[in-house]
Amino acid sequence: MTLLLAGLFVLGVYIVVYVFELFDYSLSSLPISDFSKALQDFVTRVENGNLSVVTVTILVLLAVLGLLWFIAELKPSAPRRVRMGNGTYVTRSVVEEEVSTIAEQVSDVLGSSVGVKARRSPGAQVDLEARVRRGEDLGTIKSGLNSKVREYLSERGLPVSKLNVKLVEADPRQTKSRVQ
Amino acid sequence: MADAIQLARAATEAALATEGVYSMGRGRYVEAATYEGSEKVSGVVVGPEDLEIHIVARYPLPRPIPEIAENIRKRVSPEAGGRMTTVVVEDLEVAEDENL
Repeated sequence: MTLLLAGLFVLGVYIVVYVFELFDYSLSSLPISDFSKALQDFVTRVENGNLSVVTVTILVLLAVLGLLWFIAELKPSAPRRVRMGNGTYVTRSVVEEEVSTIAEQVSDVLGSSVGVKARRSPGAQVDLEARVRRGEDLGTIKSGLNSKVREYLSERGLPVSKLNVKLVEADPRQTKSRVQ
Repeated sequence: MADAIQLARAATEAALATEGVYSMGRGRYVEAATYEGSEKVSGVVVGPEDLEIHIVARYPLPRPIPEIAENIRKRVSPEAGGRMTTVVVEDLEVAEDENL
């Protein structure tokens, strides 16, 4: 980063020297006559409104891209820690650990993976993927798991704003545990 | 801010004396510490108007996390000088006497 800034500073000094023709340096003395001529032609054509459809399309696309980039930069980044309200935060890994612990205590769950996203408002968004045996009643397991995770987390004071439970039918030979 | 390191030390003592606190955290993304001269107190960041306390909670939790945080805040508040106190639970650690 420091090197980049130093490079930009040196470049800036050179540009000022060449543009204002200081110390007998001038832009015309640079070996970029073809490039500068092409650039001048291009700018003249832009000023006269004499551009091809392809060029106009590319320029519009670049402008739109720049605008989108600008909007993306303005958007504040997602918080890294889960807010619990009243000046208390927990890291996402703590919530992940807790969700994983309780999910794997459910008898039908053979393994799980948990993703936690922090939000600006209190509470975390929890995405729980639980692996179960084939042929089980997925609806019952899902609602049971959902209520158990919510109950467990609320006992520990961990707020959940959104809980997505996804059940995946898996071969017990490939899961963390074969039986519970 | 001259007494920042003393406040950090006091906050560390208060936090470690609170039930449910296993140890002080070190910060997940940026080191959470207060520095003065050659001294460093890990787990507490003292600002002009705020105080951040990073902890590792004892597992299983003896009480809900908000209650642990509130207890830490109560213990620290006499020393905090009106600073807004934030508690960050960084991790959970199984205590040695637990056979989990």
